[in-house]
Amino acid sequence: MSETSRFTEDILTSAKSKADAIIREAEAETQRASDEARGAISREAEAIIRNAKAEADATKRREVSEARHLSKIREQREKDKIMLDVMDRAKKRVLETIGDDAKYIPMLTRLIESGIHELGEKSAMIHLNERDLRNISSLELRVNKTLTGDVKVEVSKRPIEASGGAVISSQNGKIRMVNTLDQRFEALESKLLVEARKSLFGQ
Amino acid sequence: MPEPETGLDTVRIIVDAEKQAAKIIEDAKAEAVAIRKRIDGVIQEQREKTLAETRKEAAYIAARGKQEAKAETEKFEKESAQALEELVTKASAKKNATVDKLVGIVLQVEK
Repeated sequence: MSETSRFTEDILTSAKSKADAIIREAEAETQRASDEARGAISREAEAIIRNAKAEADATKRREVSEARHLSKIREQREKDKIMLDVMDRAKKRVLETIGDDAKYIPMLTRLIESGIHELGEKSAMIHLNERDLRNISSLELRVNKTLTGDVKVEVSKRPIEASGGAVISSQNGKIRMVNTLDQRFEALESKLLVEARKSLFGQ
Repeated sequence: MPEPETGLDTVRIIVDAEKQAAKIIEDAKAEAVAIRKRIDGVIQEQREKTLAETRKEAAYIAARGKQEAKAETEKFEKESAQALEELVTKASAKKNATVDKLVGIVLQVEK
């Protein structure tokens, strides 16, 4: 082989070697790119699944929570209905006692006594509605009989506007104990609600 | 390879060899570009295929989540309706006694 031939052979061998290196480099590069891409695709897919699971869990939690909330509202509505019915019936029953002297007079006596006691004065003025003023004789008798101590009790001749019960005031009218049935119901409302809730629902 | 007869022939042969060598390298570069392009296409295809399958799975997970939510909600609603019915029944049975108690408080029968 001549010098020229060897020289040209070397040129071509070197070129082939460079070409092989170029191809190998391209293949290695694509292999790296492929591995990286596989990793990225896998991470992307995992993120999609993770989001879908999170979304599904959130949907479940949201719907159950909504159902729980609605159920609480329904329960509260039913409880309110029952409470309202019980309060109405209690009020009605209390007002019914007005027509039953056997029950009403002792109750009115107790209200007057308690008013006098709370007033804590040496003398007291009792204010009644028109109906009770008519029955004053039996009432006065009971009050006087049951009262202890020496409180001077007087009954005002002017009737008050009330379904029943009494207003007990000091002689000068500056201190007043309002023991009418309407006021008692109003004053006791929160206590009655607590008691009713306890009795009905154990709360 | 032909043997050169003159110096000019030698130069020509070497120039040809250089040209051939340059072509071999150019071809290799073109092949490298083609390899890179091919892998881009393969990756893109692989990505689309994998993500399409993943989206199907995600849609299935979402649908199953909705079904489970519906089932759980229905179960809860059924149980809470039963519990409410029981509560109303029990409370209704206690209404009269409660009214008596409240009347007692208002009329000061209960101390």
